[in-house]
Amino acid sequence: MAPPPLPSPAPSRPQALLELTNLPDADVVALAQAGRESAYRELIRRYERPVFSLIFRMVRDREIAEDLSQETFIKVLNHIDRYRPEFKLSSWLFKIANNVAIDHLRKRHLRTVSIDGSPHAATAAEIEATSFDVEARGESALEEMESKELGSAIERAITRLRPEYRACIMLRHVEGRSYEEIATTLDLPLGTVKTYIHRARHELRRALEHLKE
Amino acid sequence: MERHLLPNEIELILDGEEGFGITQLKAHLRDCAPCRASLDEARAVVEALDHLPHFSPSPQFAPKLMARVQVFEPWHVAALDSARRWLPQSRPLRVVAGVMAASMALAVSLGAVFLATRFDQVLFFGTLAASRGREALVAGLGDTVAALFGDAALDALRTAGPMGMTIGLTAFLVVVAGAALGLRALATASRRRRA
Repeated sequence: MAPPPLPSPAPSRPQALLELTNLPDADVVALAQAGRESAYRELIRRYERPVFSLIFRMVRDREIAEDLSQETFIKVLNHIDRYRPEFKLSSWLFKIANNVAIDHLRKRHLRTVSIDGSPHAATAAEIEATSFDVEARGESALEEMESKELGSAIERAITRLRPEYRACIMLRHVEGRSYEEIATTLDLPLGTVKTYIHRARHELRRALEHLKE
Repeated sequence: MERHLLPNEIELILDGEEGFGITQLKAHLRDCAPCRASLDEARAVVEALDHLPHFSPSPQFAPKLMARVQVFEPWHVAALDSARRWLPQSRPLRVVAGVMAASMALAVSLGAVFLATRFDQVLFFGTLAASRGREALVAGLGDTVAALFGDAALDALRTAGPMGMTIGLTAFLVVVAGAALGLRALATASRRRRA
């Protein structure tokens, strides 16, 4: 069963914001560049769920996903003056979101590698001092994977994909981006994007095969 | 075609590719039930992916984010926003406010034109008022100095002229500042002793 989407907050929006909802991204960005706070809020409202969803499915931890989503928006909104209208704002946002998530996963992977102690540790005491509790981390990761929100079979299968496959699949199927857009967003050749998506779908198909029985 | 479709070939068909070789793959599909079943499975996965939901961050996400974002508001935008806040929300009240503002602007303009046509009189009365004000100020200051330091000090100031007054005022400020610093040092020392 697919997990139910969390209800979005429905705050009462002021008049100015209601008018902004009908504008295309480029116009809202222009207003943000002119210093309109309401335009910043509108951009956040439009993209908080897509950005959070992408990062959440990449890192599989709600708290970390929120922090990384905040980092993404801060990077974009604090440099909104550098935005070039020939590119889609959403592509820029997803590009930064993906980079932020991949960076996090890389750092986490490095930390995971050092579970047995620092590679620079020379003595037994140093190894012991730089190693940490494997059991506790393993349980926590399992809990994350089996959490309610990522609990459906397909969500669990997605969590087992390689991060680069996951990003492509999310952009293609959740955000409805074309292969060309994904290639631009993720700075990958078009052929690579197609290969990643095809392989990812094949892996998902194999992972879900047991459900047929 | 003698063999079953490869996973990649199934994906090509799913993507709606029309390139070279696809016709042959489609022809094979028509005659091969296992390949059709594989395609259906692949299609089901794609459909499931297409229906994946978005997740929502916590309700505090946007307020927390806005507190960390530096919004640079140019002065003209800030001024316009402030002006808008003063405008009434309802249309009739806006009309009334507009009429009142226009009347005030007209009155101010007429006043300005009236004063401009009588510039010599305005200049005369302005100079008169300024000199009266200066005299009143000097008299008030003189009375204050006489009351605080006596008539002798006032006479000394008068004879010393502007330079003497400046030196006297500077000396007075230095004494006041010294007294304030001394009191502060005493207070700090007393606090330290108590601690």
